[in-house]
Amino acid sequence: MKKVLALLLAALLVFSLVACTQTPAPTPAPPAATPTPGEPSPITPEVTPVDGIFLALVTDYGTIDDGSFNQGSWEGVVAFAEANGISHQYFQPADITTAAYIDAIELAIVGGAQLIVTPGFLFREAVYVAQDLFPDVKFVLIDSTPAPPGGAPVIAQNTVAVLYAEEESGFLAGYAAVMEGHRSLGFIGGLPVPAVVRFGHGFVEGAEYAAQQLGLAAGEVSINYAYAMTFSPAPEVQTMAAAWFNDGVEIIFAAAGGAGFSVMAAAEVAGGLVIGVDIDQASASETVITSALKGLQASVYSIITDFFNDEFPGGELKIFNAAMNGVGLPMETSRFQNFTQAQYDAIFALLASGEIVVNDTVEEGFGPLDLDTELVNIILIG
Amino acid sequence: MDTISFVMQQTFFFMIPLLLVALGGMFSERVGIVNIALEGKMLMGAFTSIFFINQVQNSDLAISGQPLLVLALLVAAGTGVIVALFHAYASINLNANQIISGVAINMFAPAFAIYAARIFGDTQQVFFQNQFHIPSVPFFGSIPILGPLFFQNTYFTTYLGFAILFFSTFVLYKTKFGLRLRACGEHPQAADSVGINVYRVRYAGVLISGALAGMGGLIFIVPTAVAFNATVSGYGFLALAVLIFGAWKPMRILFAAFFFGLLQAIAAGHSGIPFLRDLGIPMQFYSMVPFVATLVVLAFTSSKSAAPKAVGQPYDKGVR
Repeated sequence: MKKVLALLLAALLVFSLVACTQTPAPTPAPPAATPTPGEPSPITPEVTPVDGIFLALVTDYGTIDDGSFNQGSWEGVVAFAEANGISHQYFQPADITTAAYIDAIELAIVGGAQLIVTPGFLFREAVYVAQDLFPDVKFVLIDSTPAPPGGAPVIAQNTVAVLYAEEESGFLAGYAAVMEGHRSLGFIGGLPVPAVVRFGHGFVEGAEYAAQQLGLAAGEVSINYAYAMTFSPAPEVQTMAAAWFNDGVEIIFAAAGGAGFSVMAAAEVAGGLVIGVDIDQASASETVITSALKGLQASVYSIITDFFNDEFPGGELKIFNAAMNGVGLPMETSRFQNFTQAQYDAIFALLASGEIVVNDTVEEGFGPLDLDTELVNIILIG
Repeated sequence: MDTISFVMQQTFFFMIPLLLVALGGMFSERVGIVNIALEGKMLMGAFTSIFFINQVQNSDLAISGQPLLVLALLVAAGTGVIVALFHAYASINLNANQIISGVAINMFAPAFAIYAARIFGDTQQVFFQNQFHIPSVPFFGSIPILGPLFFQNTYFTTYLGFAILFFSTFVLYKTKFGLRLRACGEHPQAADSVGINVYRVRYAGVLISGALAGMGGLIFIVPTAVAFNATVSGYGFLALAVLIFGAWKPMRILFAAFFFGLLQAIAAGHSGIPFLRDLGIPMQFYSMVPFVATLVVLAFTSSKSAAPKAVGQPYDKGVR
């Protein structure tokens, strides 16, 4: 009996193997473009692409619906690709290392990708390597400039580095918070990476500017300033925000990705307010009064458009600022009581015209902020 | 006074999930099954129950507030039991290494939560509205001193946590079932020799553990975020530490959870407490204190605490 069973099992196994080899019937259409000639080590991807991919996005730490830069960038890719009927796909690296990032980039190129969007500061070394390895492929590096470890940035002719004037976005948020009537503010950043540091500095400067404009006394506006040291929701972040609200803080700018959800949880219970970050977070909680935006989608869209018009700005560092409509506050979904559209337009125009220049320097090692404020009292927590 | 009651209220947000999950770990380890999978069970419980709340809140169903929380707790407990079944089957029936099956659950849970959230929802984050917060418990909340300490800015789950603690103590030490649980973790062959079905008792322990860990996951997320983002921030592993700190005994687990929760609340909230903030001690120091203090206490108490003797060993009837 056992022997019969074993025989049956073996037959089944063999049969299923045969079945497996037959199903794929690989008739891969030739990729839209052949991989780069002279590629050093041709790799065999795990998945054979059925169609050539034209536009690819390799995700950073996080996913394409992280509610932050991956999502914003991917939406830019999708918007262009769907409007123009172009194949597109995203790749998620197996690991958060430069080697894994390069593997994912290679996988995209083997699949036929001609333009690869890499969102995130952590891609700086991977793109630095890849831009030389694949000179015929175009790279769009968001939030950073390609550079060797510890070295000076090098932007090759097939790469565009995209930065955002987060300090202007933060400035608008700080200005709006004080003009709205708040005097006790808070800033909780995720990790002190350059983009977050710029958000924080801008926030302080915006509050300072508003305090000057309103003629407030020195020390009347105060800002608690801290980093949560995480981008994920955590009870520690909730408790920190709850303690601040309990201590009289009225509004917290949470430039901390998912950790912002914990700030919102604290705000809901304590009756506090929150300023969201990166994308419009008004739907996440009733307490989100506005969000300091980065125009990820629009900027990715515009660069892809340039690429198809043969105007790819290779070798350039593009800084999307107020003048290019790359940052701002979503006034339609904001829940301001006193701050008006007219006030917003006025301050935005001053930023766009360059009459107000917000300091965008990030100190070496992202150390404690070194801002001279005359009116705003900064309570640095760290 | 205001500061003290604030710290106390925040302490509960750390303490109650740790307490419940550690009690869950206790039930599993007291029957002899190592439960390193607490994190995964917590995460799965949190995921399904938050998803349940999300679905109900976005539907026309007229369930909201505390009844919804109770239903969600049942969902969380049920999920924990289902996940625990896998752990139980592998470690009781298949005599597999209990650490490995636990690690497998821990690796599976976040991946599953992300995948399922994408398939059934729109995004990785599962949002929910917090309708469960109780600003002040009727009558009790207005008692001077005790009211602000224990009955304001709270959740129904805080009292549920204490109820489960007392019930667990009673079950473990005052019932026949509790005696059998403990016997199977110390010397299962001896238990078997007097006619106890070791497999069944071990199953019971692991499944109770799953239910408590699942509920702990929900209780952990509700006060501390507006969305579930496929993480419980390592609190399942902390609960494991609390379990060991608590020497596998319910009342000592309560003490350990309270001790750790209090230090965490002070560490995280110090920047909003003027007295502590003005000391000018770096934030990193505060973050370190709960862990250093736990180490110190463990160093003095661990010699007296002993794990159940048969923990980690698959039950083999033939061994004498």
